[in-house]
Amino acid sequence: MSSKFLWAASTLALFPAIISPSYAASDAEIEILRAEIQSMKQAYESKISGLETRLQDMESKQVAQIQPAAGGVDAASVSAVSSQNSANAFNPAIGVVLNGHYAAFSNESSDVAGFGVGQEGGRMSEGLGLDEAELNFTANIDDKFMGKLTAALSEQDGETETELEEAFIKTTSLPYGISVKAGRFLQPIGYLNEHHGHTDDFSDRPLPNRVFLNNAYKDDGVMASVILPTDLYTELGAGVYRGNDFPGGGSDGSDFGSWLSYLRTGGDLGDDVSWMASLSTLQSRPEERAANDDTVLFHGDSDLYAASLRMTWAPTGNNTEQEVSLQGEYFIRKEDGTYEDSNAGTGAVGYDEHQNGWYLQSVYKFDPQWRVGARYSRLDSGDVPAGLAGSALDSGGHDPWNASLMMDWSNSEFSRVRLQYGHEEPASGQKDNQFILQYIMSLGAHPAHTF
Amino acid sequence: MKYFITSFLCLLVLPLAAQAKVNIFACEPEWGALAQEIGGDQVDVTVAASARQDPHHIKAKPSLLAAMRKADLVFCNGASLEAGWLPVLQENAARPDTVFLFVADYVTKLGVATKVDRSMGDVHPDGNPHLVTDPRNIMRMAPVVADRLAAIDPAHAAEYQDRASAFHSRWQSLIAGWGKKAASLQGQNVVVYHEGWAYLLDWLKIRQVAALEPKPGIPPSASHLQDVLKSVEGKQIKAILVSPYQNPKAAEWLSEKTGIPVVGLAYTVGGNDRADTLEHLYDDTIDRLIRGQND
Repeated sequence: MSSKFLWAASTLALFPAIISPSYAASDAEIEILRAEIQSMKQAYESKISGLETRLQDMESKQVAQIQPAAGGVDAASVSAVSSQNSANAFNPAIGVVLNGHYAAFSNESSDVAGFGVGQEGGRMSEGLGLDEAELNFTANIDDKFMGKLTAALSEQDGETETELEEAFIKTTSLPYGISVKAGRFLQPIGYLNEHHGHTDDFSDRPLPNRVFLNNAYKDDGVMASVILPTDLYTELGAGVYRGNDFPGGGSDGSDFGSWLSYLRTGGDLGDDVSWMASLSTLQSRPEERAANDDTVLFHGDSDLYAASLRMTWAPTGNNTEQEVSLQGEYFIRKEDGTYEDSNAGTGAVGYDEHQNGWYLQSVYKFDPQWRVGARYSRLDSGDVPAGLAGSALDSGGHDPWNASLMMDWSNSEFSRVRLQYGHEEPASGQKDNQFILQYIMSLGAHPAHTF
Repeated sequence: MKYFITSFLCLLVLPLAAQAKVNIFACEPEWGALAQEIGGDQVDVTVAASARQDPHHIKAKPSLLAAMRKADLVFCNGASLEAGWLPVLQENAARPDTVFLFVADYVTKLGVATKVDRSMGDVHPDGNPHLVTDPRNIMRMAPVVADRLAAIDPAHAAEYQDRASAFHSRWQSLIAGWGKKAASLQGQNVVVYHEGWAYLLDWLKIRQVAALEPKPGIPPSASHLQDVLKSVEGKQIKAILVSPYQNPKAAEWLSEKTGIPVVGLAYTVGGNDRADTLEHLYDDTIDRLIRGQND
C-alpha cells in the first residue's frame, strides 16, 4: 500500500530537525544524521513490509472464511440457533453406514453340505440389492457409563425390517482395567465376530463364520473383561447370555442359554509388525435351534472353540501408503444332542460329533486408495450318524470350500467400492462362481476402528 | 474362590503400588519429547506414533491398548487429529484416574471452520491440528505439562516446575533466534503436500500458494497436479514441503516440471537424523527452509 506515502511523511517530519541545525553542523554530524536516517528508513521499511504481509494474510484468511459460509448456512445464525438449543450438545454421535451390492452367482443352490445354516449365514441376495443400512448412536451416559445402539434397517420380502444389532451399556470408570458390558452386542469369539460387517475386508463372511456363528453371534447378556497391566497386551473376559441367537436358540430365558470366555494377547514385533491372537469358547445349550429355513432342528449342547491370529505389516508402521495384513481363524464345534431334518424326514436322531472349519486371508494395500486381497476358507462336517444319512447334515464326504479374490478402492476412509470374485464348492458337485460389486459408505460420526 | 479373587486383585494392584515413575502415553513424538524434558527421570514415556507414521492413521493396536492401560497421563495433540484411534484406546483401556491433556485446548488454532462437510475432505472442525510446526506451541505447553505432572506426582512437583520454567525461558530466546534467522523467508511462497504446515507458515510469515492434495487427506490426483502446475507458473516459489510420512512422488513430479526444490522437513522429533530433540527439530527445519534444499 502506501509505503511511499509513509516514507515521505516520516522524512518530512524529520526534515526541519535536519535543516535547522544543519547550518552549524560539521561534516561528522551530518554523517551521523545520515546513518540515523538510513537506519530509521530500514526500520520503517521492514515494519511496513511486515504490515503488508499481515494484511495479505488477513485478507486471504477472510476469503477462506467467507467462502464456505457463502455456499450454505449463515455462520451467525447457526451459532444463534445452537446456543438456544444447548440440550443438543448432549446428543449422541450419530453415524449411518450405507451398503449396496450387485451379485451374480452361477449356481442356483448355495446350501452348505453337512451343516445346518442359520438365516443370516446364507449367501447374499442375487442381483442388485440393498444391504443392511446401519444406524449408530453412541454417547457417554454419565461419568460411569457409555451406551451404544446399532440398528440395521433392511427390506425383506417387501417389508422394511428393523433389527437391533447392538444395544448395550458399558462401564467406563471401573478400576484395574475392568469393564462390564450389558445388553446386546457382538461377542468376542474369534476375530471377525466382534467387528461390524462394514469393516470387513471381503464382501461376505468366510464359511466358518457363516455356518458356526450365523455370520455374527450377538446375544443378550452380561460380559466382564479385564486388561492386565502387562507390557504385552493381555485381556481376559467372560460372559453369560440368554442363548437365543445362533448357535443358541429357543431359549425361554429360564436359565443362561450360552456362556463365553476369551483370552487375547498381542503386541508389536519391531516397528513394522503388529499382531494379536485369541482363544475363545462359546458354550450353548439350544432348546431348539432352527436352520436351513426351519427344516433342520438341533437340541442339545453346542460347544464352539475358536483360535484367531491377525498380523499387520507396514514399512516403518506407516499404513497410509502400504500395508499387508494376514488373518486366520480356526473353529472346532462339538455338538451333543439330537438333530432332525424335516425335509429328509429323519426324525430326531442322536448326534455326538466334531466339526471344524478355518479360513486364512491376506490383504495388501499397495496404494493409499487401493487394496487387493485373497481368502481361502474350508469346512469339515465330520462324521454323520447313520440316522442322518442323506440329510442336510450328510456332506457325502465333501468338504465345502471357498476361494475369493477382492480389489477395493477407497476415496477416503468413509467410502469404499469393492469388486470380489469367489469360487465356492458348497456341496458335492456344486460349483458356484460368484461376482460381487459392492459399495460401503459411512456418513456422520464415524466410529474409530479397532485393530 | 474368595481368596482367589482377593489374591488376583492383589496381584493386579501390587505392580501399581510398587511403581514410582509416572507413566505417560504421548500420542505423537513431539509431545513425548516435551513430556520427557519436563518429567526427566521421574517419568516413563510411551509414544504411540513414530515420526514416520501419519498421525491421522495410527491403529488402535494391542501394544497401544497395553500402554494406555498403564498410563497416568495421556498427552496428545487433540483437535480431532487422533479421532480415528484414540477413542478406542480410551474407551477400552484407560483407567478412571488417567489424566488426559490435549494441546489443542491450550493454543490458538488456525483454520477453525465455520462450516464443515466431508466433501471438503478430512477437515477438522476444531481447526488445523498440526500444532507441532510452531515452536511457540511447544513452549506454551511446558508449564501446562508441569502442572499436570505436579498434580499426579506431588512429591516431585518442584522439579517439574523448575524444569518447565527453565525450558520456557530457554525457548523464549531460542524462538527469538529462529525468528531472526528466518527473517529472510518472510513473504516467500511455498507449495505444501498436505495442509500440515499452517502454523509454521503463520509463524515465519511464509505464504502457501498451493497444496498437492486436492482436499485434505485425499491423495494427489493427476488432474489436481495439473491445476497446481498452472497455478505456480510464473510465481517465485521457494520450495515444495513434504513430511517424512508422505509419499514424495507427487512433489518430485512437480519439482521436475518446475525446478522448484522439494524440501523434506522433519515435521516432528525423529523425522530425520538431525531432528533428534525438540530444539534440533526447529534448528533443522529453519536451516532446510533457508537453504531451500534437502541436504
